Amino acid sequence: MEEKEEVIKVTNLTKDYKNNRGIFDLNFTVYKGETFGFVGTNGSGKTTTIRHIMGFIKPQEGNVQVLGMDAWKDSCEIKKNVAYIPGEIAFPDLSTGIAFFKAQAELLNLKNMDHANELIKRLQLDPSANLKRMSKGMKQKTAIVAALMGDKDILILDEPTTGLDPLMRETFLELIKEEKAKGKTILMSSQMFDELETTCDRVALIFDGRIIDIADINALKNADSKAYKIEFIEREDYLKFKKLKFNIIRDQEKYSQVTIRIEDKKINHLFDVLKNYRLKFISEVKFNLEKHFKEILQEKIKGGENVQ
Amino acid sequence: MFSKALFKQSMKANWIKWTCVTVATCVMLAIVIIALGSLAIDNIRDSLKGVFQQADQESVLKTNSVDSYELYLTSAQFENGLETMSNTLNGLPLTIIWNSVASNYEKNYQEFMDANAGVEPTKDDLVQIREETVEDTYNYFNENFGEMIGSFGLSESEIKQFLTITVLAYESDKTISESTAMITAIESSYLQYVQDNAYEMYLQQEDATEETATASSLAARTLASYAIESYKTQSAQEGFVYTEDTFKEEANLYVNQMIYDQVLATFNITDSSTDEEKTNAEYYAVASKVLANTAISTYELWLDEYENNPERYPEITNDTEAKSSARIEASASIMDQIDAEVAAALSELGNMDMYGLIIGNLFYRVAGILLPMVYVIMVANGLLAGQVDSGSMAYVLSTPTKRRAVTVTQMTYLMLSLLAMFLLVTVTSVVSIWIVGGNDFTINFAEILLLNLGAFLTMFAFAGFCFMCSSIFNRSKYSMSIGGGISILMLVCTILGLFGSDVVPVAMRIGQMNFFNYLSIISLFDATSILSGGMDFLWKFGILALIGIVTFIVGVFCFEKKDLPL
Repeated sequence: MEEKEEVIKVTNLTKDYKNNRGIFDLNFTVYKGETFGFVGTNGSGKTTTIRHIMGFIKPQEGNVQVLGMDAWKDSCEIKKNVAYIPGEIAFPDLSTGIAFFKAQAELLNLKNMDHANELIKRLQLDPSANLKRMSKGMKQKTAIVAALMGDKDILILDEPTTGLDPLMRETFLELIKEEKAKGKTILMSSQMFDELETTCDRVALIFDGRIIDIADINALKNADSKAYKIEFIEREDYLKFKKLKFNIIRDQEKYSQVTIRIEDKKINHLFDVLKNYRLKFISEVKFNLEKHFKEILQEKIKGGENVQ
Repeated sequence: MFSKALFKQSMKANWIKWTCVTVATCVMLAIVIIALGSLAIDNIRDSLKGVFQQADQESVLKTNSVDSYELYLTSAQFENGLETMSNTLNGLPLTIIWNSVASNYEKNYQEFMDANAGVEPTKDDLVQIREETVEDTYNYFNENFGEMIGSFGLSESEIKQFLTITVLAYESDKTISESTAMITAIESSYLQYVQDNAYEMYLQQEDATEETATASSLAARTLASYAIESYKTQSAQEGFVYTEDTFKEEANLYVNQMIYDQVLATFNITDSSTDEEKTNAEYYAVASKVLANTAISTYELWLDEYENNPERYPEITNDTEAKSSARIEASASIMDQIDAEVAAALSELGNMDMYGLIIGNLFYRVAGILLPMVYVIMVANGLLAGQVDSGSMAYVLSTPTKRRAVTVTQMTYLMLSLLAMFLLVTVTSVVSIWIVGGNDFTINFAEILLLNLGAFLTMFAFAGFCFMCSSIFNRSKYSMSIGGGISILMLVCTILGLFGSDVVPVAMRIGQMNFFNYLSIISLFDATSILSGGMDFLWKFGILALIGIVTFIVGVFCFEKKDLPL
């Protein structure tokens, strides 16, 4: 991965909107062919960061480089390789979807509409509908088509799945995976952990304008330690087990339950130990990005409190 | 630097607004021009003008009537003098005078003949002989009847005049009977007396010159001769006594008849004239006669008033002042009876350029630019701020389109759409004027073209300003309330300022409201200067153009520098 080409490089990016709003000292890099996720609550700074990348906002401090060019100064040049789905869906004052696509194609200097038509078919969009009367989902599909039809190398998608029904969301995520397969670099933001978990290589958690953690999904999923939840029938067994030197990450006393993390190579040792206990059940706890970040966040907040 | 695609997009987004505003403005303008042309507001103005001319004529007629009346009265009042003089002279030994004149004339004539060896005397010589005769006769009388003459109150010059006339009478007809000669002499000296006195009197009047005094005194002489004839016939009647009222009645009748004759004469009525023409002429003659009569009655009533209640009129100290004041009162027309300010206002209304006011100041500076202004406010906002606010600008700026290309394209669209709008308005105005055309219509083609140019430049300045606001603000509401708000405010100020500007007649003008004109750049569109052929409007046009250019440029630069929430 180290040899990969840097596509988006954010360095010390700061934009202070006062009252603890804005983004502060962001640093991350998106490499070529990578799908980079951006997750965070409302107002955490996802959109502000994306606007910087798009060159709509001038950084207060630090800079954003896209393909080696400054996002603010060379905004226009960068756009030759960038497609964008804005977070807020508002179309120009045009009559129908077709008119809008034509106008966009003209702005993109795009002659061939085959790709656009294919996308329209895939998303089951009626492009002859009146732009203003479209439902939220239809608008979102229209925005997706407009962004993808230019076949750009870099896709910047600000909450692209809002308003889509679950089936459409699946279709869209398929599309994204296809784009990724074509070698495109994708940066998308979302409030939904699961969709980022399934599509992204890496996901950054942004909270109060600061990046808390950047999770490498593949690494986490294929980690050489796993978590297991164990419930004991006997209370004494439960208490006895807790005295053993396992890495307990969650303890639910009420149910006589523990969750332990253990390296794969030590799994046999665990079973040897467990032979002597009467278990109600044992199950593997699957990796979950949301839980993963929650854990990190809780630690950070705890850490923050401790510091205070 | 220019995006054709964006330009098309802007056209598609705004063509309905453009069409509505353009059609509405053109229709409005056509209706205004055609309505004004066919309703012929100038006729109303002309009739108002007519009222003033008529009032002037009425005043002149009345003045003439009073003057003629006074002239007649002046001459008639000397009829007293005629009688006195007649009696006086009758009291003189006329035979002695006549004989004395005759002998003196013959003596002087003979002396001349002797001195010039019988050569016939020339005209100048005859004058010399007459003067010597008058001198001799006067000296003779002064010696013998000096006391008696003095008691009659006749001056030396008056007596000498009388004698001169007697000499002339003798010279022209030596066989004439002495009584006839004396009566002729008496009448002639009387007429001369009237003329001289009238001359003196008129010379004292206000605005009198020697010429007018001479003319008036000659008129008085003519009137006096008329009076003498009247006197002769009246006095022939048994028991007739001349009183002041008789004079006045006579004078009034005379003046009425004179005015009637004069007015009738101006109509050139001949036997071939139609009945209608005759009736018309008769009507005007009688109406004038009535006016004359009114004037004279008024004159008399005022004289009476001055005489009876002198305490009310301290400024009138003598007869001449009383007469001149009464003359002014009597000659007053309708316009003189109303307040001077009101009369001035009405007069201004009569002279006002209605087309200039309604088309130049009301249409092109207010009503006609209202809709284009609404168009500019809405479209300027929609071209930038509206799209930034809604977020749709993201679709343009996420393509390889420079911000400057966006602003330049949108600016071009705004300017070109305005230009196209005003080209159509110009065509409409020219065609409308051509339809209603004619000499009555005071606005010519050059002026209407300049008015259109002015309206365009005004809108160009507003467009630049609104565009700049649209560029500076990310929110429609701010762009609209600053750009649109100030524009509308300026239009309102122009409407209010109109009531204080000098295009509105004094009667409707409120001077203080002119203050509003200083708050509006529409004041730089100087329609009055254009319509009055001035050159002031040129530099003001320059400023309007400059405002537009500067604000457009500022708009382009601001948009490049700012953060966009897209």
